[in-house]
Amino acid sequence: MENDNKAAHEKPEQEWPYLDVHRHLRYWKMCIRAPLPQVYLSNESNRLALAYFIVNSVTLLTPPPSERTPETPEPLISREDKRAMIKWVLHHQHPTGGFCGTSSLVFPLHSYDTYNSDTKTLNEPDHAGLANITSTLFALQLLALLADEEDEAAGENVFEGVNRVGTLRFLKSLQREDGSFGEALSDLPGHGRFIAGGYDMRYCYIATAIRWILRGDVKEGSPGWVEDFDTEALARYILNSQTYDRGFAGNSQDEAHAGYAYCAIAALTLLDRPLTSTSSTSSSSSSSSSVPHKSPLLHSSIRDLPGLIHWLASRPFVYLEPPPPSAADQDPDTYIYQEDDLDDPNFLLPPTPADLLCLLSQTAEKKGHDKTHVAFNGRTNKVADTCYFWWVGGALANLGTLDSLVDREAARRFLLEKMQHRIGGFGKSPGSPPDLYHSFFGLAILGLMGDEREGGKVRGFDAGLAVPRETVGVIERARRRLIESEKGGEGVVVDGGKEFDAVEMGLELRGGEERPKWLGACGY
Amino acid sequence: MRHWLLTSFVTLFVSFCNPMTANQCVQQGPRSALRPHHFPLSNHLITMPPKGKAATKPKATETPATTTSNPTTTNTTRQTASQPSEPTTVLERSQQRYEKTRPFEAARQQKGLSKLFKEDQKGWICDQLLHLTNRLPAASRSSLLGPKASKEIWWTVNGTNSIVRGLKHKPEPYTTWGTDRNGHDVGSYTIERFDERFRKRIALTALQVSSRVFRENVEREKRGFVDARSGREIIVTEREIDEEKVRRSKMAVLKKDLYGAITGRLAESVEWEDVVPIPHEEPEGALAAITYPAEYAEAMSYLRAVMTTKEYSPRCLRLTEHIIAMNPAHYTVWLYRAANIFALGISIPDEIEWLNEVALANLKNYQIWHHRHLLVEHYYPTISSDPEALAQFAKQERDFLIAILSEDTKNYHVWSYRSWLVGKLGMWEDEEELKSIEKMIDEDVRNNSAWSHRFVLVFSNPKYATPGKAATEKDEKVPQELVDREVKYAQSKAFLAPQNQSPWNYMRGVLVKGGQPLASVQGFGEEFVNKLGEGEEEEEVKSTHALDLLAEIYAEKKDNEKADLCLRRLAEKWDKIRGGYWEWRRKCLTQSETEKAPGEQVEEAEEGSAAV
Repeated sequence: MENDNKAAHEKPEQEWPYLDVHRHLRYWKMCIRAPLPQVYLSNESNRLALAYFIVNSVTLLTPPPSERTPETPEPLISREDKRAMIKWVLHHQHPTGGFCGTSSLVFPLHSYDTYNSDTKTLNEPDHAGLANITSTLFALQLLALLADEEDEAAGENVFEGVNRVGTLRFLKSLQREDGSFGEALSDLPGHGRFIAGGYDMRYCYIATAIRWILRGDVKEGSPGWVEDFDTEALARYILNSQTYDRGFAGNSQDEAHAGYAYCAIAALTLLDRPLTSTSSTSSSSSSSSSVPHKSPLLHSSIRDLPGLIHWLASRPFVYLEPPPPSAADQDPDTYIYQEDDLDDPNFLLPPTPADLLCLLSQTAEKKGHDKTHVAFNGRTNKVADTCYFWWVGGALANLGTLDSLVDREAARRFLLEKMQHRIGGFGKSPGSPPDLYHSFFGLAILGLMGDEREGGKVRGFDAGLAVPRETVGVIERARRRLIESEKGGEGVVVDGGKEFDAVEMGLELRGGEERPKWLGACGY
Repeated sequence: MRHWLLTSFVTLFVSFCNPMTANQCVQQGPRSALRPHHFPLSNHLITMPPKGKAATKPKATETPATTTSNPTTTNTTRQTASQPSEPTTVLERSQQRYEKTRPFEAARQQKGLSKLFKEDQKGWICDQLLHLTNRLPAASRSSLLGPKASKEIWWTVNGTNSIVRGLKHKPEPYTTWGTDRNGHDVGSYTIERFDERFRKRIALTALQVSSRVFRENVEREKRGFVDARSGREIIVTEREIDEEKVRRSKMAVLKKDLYGAITGRLAESVEWEDVVPIPHEEPEGALAAITYPAEYAEAMSYLRAVMTTKEYSPRCLRLTEHIIAMNPAHYTVWLYRAANIFALGISIPDEIEWLNEVALANLKNYQIWHHRHLLVEHYYPTISSDPEALAQFAKQERDFLIAILSEDTKNYHVWSYRSWLVGKLGMWEDEEELKSIEKMIDEDVRNNSAWSHRFVLVFSNPKYATPGKAATEKDEKVPQELVDREVKYAQSKAFLAPQNQSPWNYMRGVLVKGGQPLASVQGFGEEFVNKLGEGEEEEEVKSTHALDLLAEIYAEKKDNEKADLCLRRLAEKWDKIRGGYWEWRRKCLTQSETEKAPGEQVEEAEEGSAAV
């Protein structure tokens, strides 16, 4: 540890900070090869989310096949690994659509028990609560991320096995009357069918992302058409969630929050995003933070758009190096701040701007340069956190203002010098150990901004769908392919669903179209 | 005659077993005798003594088989020099036993039937027939072969000193004994280890028998059975229960030792014995596996079982508590708990009391607050018509919220729940609510969560707020004195720490809500700015937020020059890290205000900043 730190310091000034790709890959390799430590137990119900962080990060750090050279090391996730992982992801699919977050709540055999052959429906409340909206998006993103990049034709088939119609119906069933979305369906005695989950902007964003990934442009009446959810009601709900201080919250009664601001903005953008984006076809485009499209909905309907930009632009702040609490023997670069310290160093608020300027000039004198560190918080007067660099940056990127409004160099310097950990990955706050969530979002924002210095080491990232741009292309092709296969009667493959009833149910779920001929050949 | 019968039977049987070998057998049979280094096994059979148990079986006397408990089989002294080495594993021992007791079969497996001497072939066939007929009921044995054929077989058997009771199947690794808890073949155990395992299995069986008796008694007691002998009702005593507990823990240890079975609190518990846990199965290719304690795995396997049968019961409630203690973020478990609470009609105040403890121990948890939300939704109709009960409940909730917020003053989930609760219970007019918020702002004037709650409390009050008005919209119905009061409040707090953005945001929000021009606070803003643009030394800015607000005020009054000066000084000196933003605002000044789509403004600003 000591040596690592010294080595970092001995590097010439202009080479530091840099993104240590190998160290990050080593961190992610550890996350793939070995079981995660017990501190992740609280995420046991959201393992697909953890898987999404892992695979997405590895993809960000792995050059696309076109950019690989003989010197490029073998991808961390091999093609065989990918095939097995795809099966694992599909294993989480609920028979009536949607995905559940952990294999510990997959009940494959019992799922068909309540299938009522008279009404041709599943008695859903029996299984309600198992599939949820968040895991459904993570599953779809994971599938696209796991597409075989070396064989485009195979990559296009990556949604094979996804119950598209069922999932879209499940999605629609999660919309509340006010237009917002819940997390899961639950059967509560005395309350009947109930849409569980708080009033949380995340679910609204996720709903628009699932819709964009799966719905496509199937015409009403054609096979595979599913009634859309009420997009106007959703947009209304989102627009009403702007708060008095012009940010966004889970609803207008809550405190403005950068995560929710991102979700609100990205959701509006996705609602009218074209089904095929131009950026995906030109994957070689090196332009940073390019916006997929200029959303009319976003730019014309937010009540106070300049105000929202003001609120977002207020999130970065100058990070001041705090003196270690005791003693000069503590090296500020290696000192690990305690949770109690964080409020101060993380958001040091001098009484007046003049005091701040004075402090800055003192620090500059001591260091011999005036390079500042810019950190981001998620709410007014809150502390710095790696992920808010992404939430704020992602929100601004969707608005098309990331480049002009953020001091990218200072922000990047803070991320790489203060949040990057020796063992790879990023921590939540300066000095804290890395975790999957922050390690991923640190890479995401670098991908979004385009890593200028280390050119091409982090893949370009899509601000709306939160996957690398190449993956957006995969989604578009896989969606088209999935819809075509539904039309062509190739059918949805239900894993393990060999029973007669399962086949009948599959046909019903696909809209009661004609029986495909091959079914007869198989003896059904 | 005898010979003919036997030969024809042999041929028949062999062709029945395998037509190919039958032919070869007939053709090659005589040739096998030409091989001088082979001796018919029949002449030097190694025999084993019959097991005492078999010999005493009464039914054995019904068959000719008993007649073979003959002198030759007891002749243990006939062990020959070809005796194999001492077995080291159970498998070896059994294989040796097999070879000893089924010499013809062993020889056939080794060499093939065709390469055996004719006598041995006969011996083999008799051996096969014996084992075939031994499986049949005694009565049908002779009817299958007929008395004559039977006699001939026994004649041969006697003649070759064949063994009647041999091991039926050749012992194979894994399949014969199965695997232990580590997946190892029990057959590979040493004899001593195997015997040890065997003793444990016997011990376990004995415990299981006693345990079953106990459980039957419990069942009988439940149903009020009367013991036929004593004429008394069956009662399970405390001592018996204690004994059973000891028994269960012993059984758990043995089961884990022998089979690696899931054991733990639940598997040992009397309460859960009718539930068959569903273990977790995961396909290959799994990502993000988490190391978790065996106890968690056990609890989840029981949760799966009760969720599948949709059981709502006190024990399910306890199970959710058990899992929540290990993983309080499991949303499905919380939903299942809520379902149990409602199905069983559990008292909501009791549940809330329990929840308070959990919440204090897990400050950052989201699911706890959603659960509380559900509880209150469920409870509210029962108290909504009783203002006193409602006020009492509101007070209890507030007391707890104050307590938990003192631990974590900006906890988003708690504040979110609190603002919802105000609406649900109608706490708008509750003076205590506003007072407690004021107290929090006094303690930390930078607590933006408290500021945010205050805004909701004051401006969403349905008494005067227009329903459906957005937070950033003007509401004519808000009383003027309220707007004035709140503006003054924010101003008094802004003086305390001018660079704290919260009161500035609050004040601006109040003005917009009240439909007042920002210029109404121009004087206040100017108190924080002195001699702007009059030279580096003279210029004094106590709050960048004041300068920001003044820029808006001047622009509102069409004094673009002054507005531009404010923004320029922010970009140049006072708030350099937002330079790009302030430049964008400058650019907006020169454009025809809101006529342009903000997207275009932004784009031009981008070009502008690039030029800068």
